[in-house]
Amino acid sequence: MPEPDRPLLAITLGDPSGIGPEVVARALAEPAAYEMARPVVIGALGPMLRGIKDTGVELKARAVNSAEGAGEDPNVIDVLNVDGFEDVEFPLGELSAVSGKAAHAWIERAVRLCQDGGADAMVTAPVNKEALNLAGSTDMGHQEVFKRMSGSDYVATMLVSGTLRCMHLSTHRSLKRAAEYATRENILMATKLTDETFKSWGFENPRIAIAALNPHGGENGMIGDEEITDIRPAVEDAQALGINASGPIPADSVFNQAIDGRWDVVVVLYHDQGHIPIKVHGFEESVSVNLGIPWIRTSVDHGTAFDIAGKGIAQAVSMREAIKLATQLATGVRPS
Amino acid sequence: MNKPILAITLGDPGGVGPEVTVKAFPHEAGLDRSIPLVVGDARIVADAVARWVPGWSVAAIEGPEEAAAVSNETIPVIDLRNCDPSLVRIGEVDPYSGNAAYEYVAHAAKLAMDRRISAIVTAPLNKESMRLAGHMYDGHTGLLGELTGAKKYFMVLGSDVLRVIHVSTHVTLEEAVKRVKTDRIVDTIRAGHEHLKQMGFENPRIAVAGLNPHAGDGGQFGLEEAQEVAPAVEQARAVGIDATGPISPDAVFRMAVDGHYDIVVVLYHDQGHIPVKLVAFEEGVNVTVGLPIIRTSVDHGTGFDIAGQGVASEVNMISALDYAYKMATGDRGTGSTRPLV
Repeated sequence: MPEPDRPLLAITLGDPSGIGPEVVARALAEPAAYEMARPVVIGALGPMLRGIKDTGVELKARAVNSAEGAGEDPNVIDVLNVDGFEDVEFPLGELSAVSGKAAHAWIERAVRLCQDGGADAMVTAPVNKEALNLAGSTDMGHQEVFKRMSGSDYVATMLVSGTLRCMHLSTHRSLKRAAEYATRENILMATKLTDETFKSWGFENPRIAIAALNPHGGENGMIGDEEITDIRPAVEDAQALGINASGPIPADSVFNQAIDGRWDVVVVLYHDQGHIPIKVHGFEESVSVNLGIPWIRTSVDHGTAFDIAGKGIAQAVSMREAIKLATQLATGVRPS
Repeated sequence: MNKPILAITLGDPGGVGPEVTVKAFPHEAGLDRSIPLVVGDARIVADAVARWVPGWSVAAIEGPEEAAAVSNETIPVIDLRNCDPSLVRIGEVDPYSGNAAYEYVAHAAKLAMDRRISAIVTAPLNKESMRLAGHMYDGHTGLLGELTGAKKYFMVLGSDVLRVIHVSTHVTLEEAVKRVKTDRIVDTIRAGHEHLKQMGFENPRIAVAGLNPHAGDGGQFGLEEAQEVAPAVEQARAVGIDATGPISPDAVFRMAVDGHYDIVVVLYHDQGHIPVKLVAFEEGVNVTVGLPIIRTSVDHGTGFDIAGQGVASEVNMISALDYAYKMATGDRGTGSTRPLV
């Protein structure tokens, strides 16, 4: 039975030349999707029908002009059109400006829906950075769109796989620049944001672990002093604010501790410190979530996979998990 | 076929070394494939046996050649008589224990250099205790490097599901980034190649991880991949090594676990330690390659907080013995063997 107050989810199709339409079709064909949520696809009917055909799922699709009242019928995918892309023939499995342009417009449409209360959360399929660039977008990816449209100056990415959650202090910086960014102020800012966000998700007193930067947590300054000069002070600053923060904890033990249930989230100090454990622990289930924007957004944690687009073989585990997590966050059900 | 002699050094007597050693010993002995022995103090081992492996006993021996002749359910100990149990301070940094631990390693290294044992398997020692005793080394690796006269050695963290070899280990992340240099990476690839040949791999498949997110994403997030890593892979390939990379660090370990690569060359300590600890839990073994002798080690410390309580797990020591056996025989379960020393 469907839940009575199911949240409305704006699900973008991503780059229509990639596997986005296929993973959306496959995830929405699972009965759980409509039982827990009201999904509305933000995209165009053409690629959505292509995704349904490629995957062979038993679903129909129709174009709608408003999200209101949409997403109720589990047999028909409602696709909210965005002007200008209804009749475009998108190429399959290749980089194109038109696909980049459409993907970009669909993200913006989903954001506006969240902002004006028409949707409770957004879930995104993958876009291609090069395609966005070809389309003349100054936004490099999702995060830049969100920053611009929310006015937020700090949008962070958290990866989730099962009970392992890694909140990234920074993502797309060289390792050298990422290490330089790991200052007391920045770590405190990320820890505060993590605490606020987890509280809004129903965690009463979230247990936040901060990973160390150097081997063995620096061994009391013997191999690196960032733990002493920046990380520990940031943890103490956070504790003084009443935040349940711990650390720095050596990076080669903190993730096992989190998987064992000791921490609700680990704040990681560079891209691969979070990405390596997530991908090793639960590669396919991995989902990405943004912190620092005033709406809920989850995303698949894979790319457009042009090489297999249209073949109907793309797995939808990550999309399914992204839909599930967005629903939980939108309804205040603490993710388990 | 001769059985390899695996010598376990007892480690710091005030830590968990004696406990994990005696608990793991019956497992390796029960496989009836090697001749395990302990280099330590027989009194310490006897105390540990009495507490944790009832029914077993200890035989003090002078040299490894005597180990094969001891009775069943007996641990042969090359007895250095250097550590009185009543003087050991359990769970504390102490030069008395540090000196004893040092002497076990020094003695075992000599035996290995003289080819009287096949491999050394080390229980943990405490650096601070050893240094307080006047032996100024950064740990086992530096100590063994000096004792064996090796110039270049590398740390492998190994298990059956995932093996990694480190371009650098116990240096700051900042310093590790600076050490991402072509020559160093080539040396590490070669060491990984030779290590796997020793393990019985005919044509080891070696992956080299990138340094930056998405291996730099075409130079967007760092240039080390193009300037240092890619040339190193090319040089290795030019001498016939099956090396691939740089591969995105968040993809390469899954690929290796799935069987596409036999070892991953990693560019900093945690890049290798994070994935191995996740997939191999307690089974990741620390191996020093590039020495003229075989040496494996548990990958945990002296555990001073739990020493003497009987709660230390011997799983990692069992894995370290298993890895040493595989290195000593070149038999990783495929039946291939090479002559023993």
